Amino acid sequence: MDVMSAVPLVEQLSREMGISTATALFDGHQPRPVDPVLAPIFRRGGLPRGEIVTLTGGQSLSCALATIAAATQEQKWCAGIGLGEPAVSSIADLGVDLDHFVNLATPAEDWLRVASILIESFDILIVDPGFRPSAGERARLLAKVRERKISLISLEPMPGSTEQIEITDTQWSGTEHGHGRLRSCLVTARSQTGIHRFLLPGPEGTPAEAPARVPAPTSVWEEKGERPVIRSVS
Amino acid sequence: MAVLRAGKVVAANAPARTAGIAVGNNKRAVGFRCPEAQVAAWDEDVDNKHFSAGVGALEDLVARFTLLGPGTLAIPLDSLRHGYADEPSAVEDLISELVSATGWEFFPGIADTVFAAVLAAGQARRVEPGETVNFLAAQPITTLEYAGAEVAKLIDTFTHLGLRTLGALARLDAKDVNSRFGAPGRHAHDLATGSERRPLHDHVREDGLTAELGLEAPTTRSDTLGFLTRQLAADLLTKVRRLGLVCTQITIELVAVSGQSSKRTWRIEDMNENTIADRLRWQAEGWLAGAARGGSSAGSARTDGKAAARSRRAHDFDIPDEPAPDPEDFSEEGIIALRLVAAELTTPIGATKSLFDENTGQVTHTLERLQGLFGPDSVLVPGLQGGWDPSETNLWTPWQQKSVPVRSPGAPWPGALHAPRPTTVEHVAVDVLTGDGRTVGARPAGLESTPAAIRFPTGATEAITDYSGSWPVESGWWDPERATYRTRLQVVTESGQALLLSKENGQWHITGRYR
Repeated sequence: MDVMSAVPLVEQLSREMGISTATALFDGHQPRPVDPVLAPIFRRGGLPRGEIVTLTGGQSLSCALATIAAATQEQKWCAGIGLGEPAVSSIADLGVDLDHFVNLATPAEDWLRVASILIESFDILIVDPGFRPSAGERARLLAKVRERKISLISLEPMPGSTEQIEITDTQWSGTEHGHGRLRSCLVTARSQTGIHRFLLPGPEGTPAEAPARVPAPTSVWEEKGERPVIRSVS
Repeated sequence: MAVLRAGKVVAANAPARTAGIAVGNNKRAVGFRCPEAQVAAWDEDVDNKHFSAGVGALEDLVARFTLLGPGTLAIPLDSLRHGYADEPSAVEDLISELVSATGWEFFPGIADTVFAAVLAAGQARRVEPGETVNFLAAQPITTLEYAGAEVAKLIDTFTHLGLRTLGALARLDAKDVNSRFGAPGRHAHDLATGSERRPLHDHVREDGLTAELGLEAPTTRSDTLGFLTRQLAADLLTKVRRLGLVCTQITIELVAVSGQSSKRTWRIEDMNENTIADRLRWQAEGWLAGAARGGSSAGSARTDGKAAARSRRAHDFDIPDEPAPDPEDFSEEGIIALRLVAAELTTPIGATKSLFDENTGQVTHTLERLQGLFGPDSVLVPGLQGGWDPSETNLWTPWQQKSVPVRSPGAPWPGALHAPRPTTVEHVAVDVLTGDGRTVGARPAGLESTPAAIRFPTGATEAITDYSGSWPVESGWWDPERATYRTRLQVVTESGQALLLSKENGQWHITGRYR
């Protein structure tokens, strides 16, 4: 009876998440937990381990920091490479445990070398690569990431990544032409699981659900001559 | 004179006490009883600084003592037995010596435990040996406030439970107190029953735990420095070990020919002469390289100095055996003196790592390797300090160095930026333009005109689609050196990115970017 009930489930998994067999599901590693608002962006509901995720577009650094917040609170170590000088107050606002975050101020051209050293003991790396690695270097990096089961978030497109999240649109609100201040940002992100809209940062500085959708967007798409990208239906 | 802490008087001098001011009064009561009394806020640093004079005087008088806090000292009586005939004469001698050395009042108290002695000192009395338990039992529960903040937090709870005296607390079963209140509760119970488990750490004399070395000739060679440091560090660590202690933090001070010095405190997990030498080498390299860089960009005055140095060198080349310029010679200036200070000492048990720290050892190893490769300032850990803008609240400290906040995070910072805050900090000069191409002016009341576009230093211009209200920060107007006046503004550009701008001295800057 168990086998019978599992069949539709496996079918659904293979259709939606690209998991062809049940063993593929169990071979993979449990993804790291992320904020519930961000969970739907990821194919398996969390930050995958042993894989490279690319996060591009506006607000991508905020999104990456919000993604690692839950893991750092579980005593996982995270390092940032090539991020410039991040603002500590915003890192804390996004929920990252400051005791488990390290920022590397190393030359941009050395990022690959720095990353390969950090992979030895860190759990998550956020990288804004200073240059594109060659195919061979990329393969070695990927092998190391897979072997150590760390999560690597790249803020630039990188071939070999398994999940690509692209923030296509950001809409800040609250400024009101000189009468307010920035309060929240409505982010539209496209990933393998479809198009998602959420607030990053929300009113509390952490990610939040988007407010109920206003009927405007369809007309906006028509004006711009674009059509909505197909969404997954579950 | 009365000192106020958290709205209550914590100390008052003799004239104030005769006027009726008592410890525990609030500010209004002080003003009522003695309008001419000076009221000062409590400041731990000032207290400590002030009290160190008394500590210096006591160091000459007593062999062993413990500093409990600013203003409170504990002296074990057995350390006085050799020098004085009996207790009263010892106390009298010590007090008169201290008063003549410092001019302060001292209250002696004698009891079997340190906590009881502190309470006894409040009444300037001597508790007979063996009577300590009875003495403590009669004390109100609020006296636990002298036992530290952790225990003091329990006072209210104890009061609500009907425990009004230490005796009532002492009558409870130690196990019950422990299971209900944990470690602080057990500590409070120990204090109340007059059994003290923690031995006090003796005051460590400062002069013994430094090592200094003056070099015969200034050097800039890091290998020479490393070699010299190894010997110096070994001496220092031997001294530390002889005291039965372990050094966990070390302060390294380098003095250059010009008299400038560089001082940094390092935390090293496996402290030995090699790791200390490494840190000193990094510090020296970073400092000298920084000095050389700073010099080359400083302009003409410095270039003259370099030219002079070069000509002197050229002159040196006349001597045939002069070796070629050292490739590792990164500066014209050299280091002439090294100084190592054991900055933090603990007992060997205190220095062992906890089992519960997850893979910290490996993380430490990795980060130290990176520091070795790219310099100590390449690995930074985040911290927060006081300030208005993210660039001011940022406190990035090199891994395993002690962070030193410049601005107090506890002080109020009116006008500080609210969340959401920018994710990265920058300082890039930009032009904020009005519709007709003029720079937008800012006044305390607001912007002079509507910002329409922003021009980046690259020459690119982006339209501003929305902007926030501007808000000024004005501080330090009473001190021209610290005077700050700037106006801040958040803008959203046509590409959808949000920026934090700041106008200071007539120039707009990007100070933060929402990424």
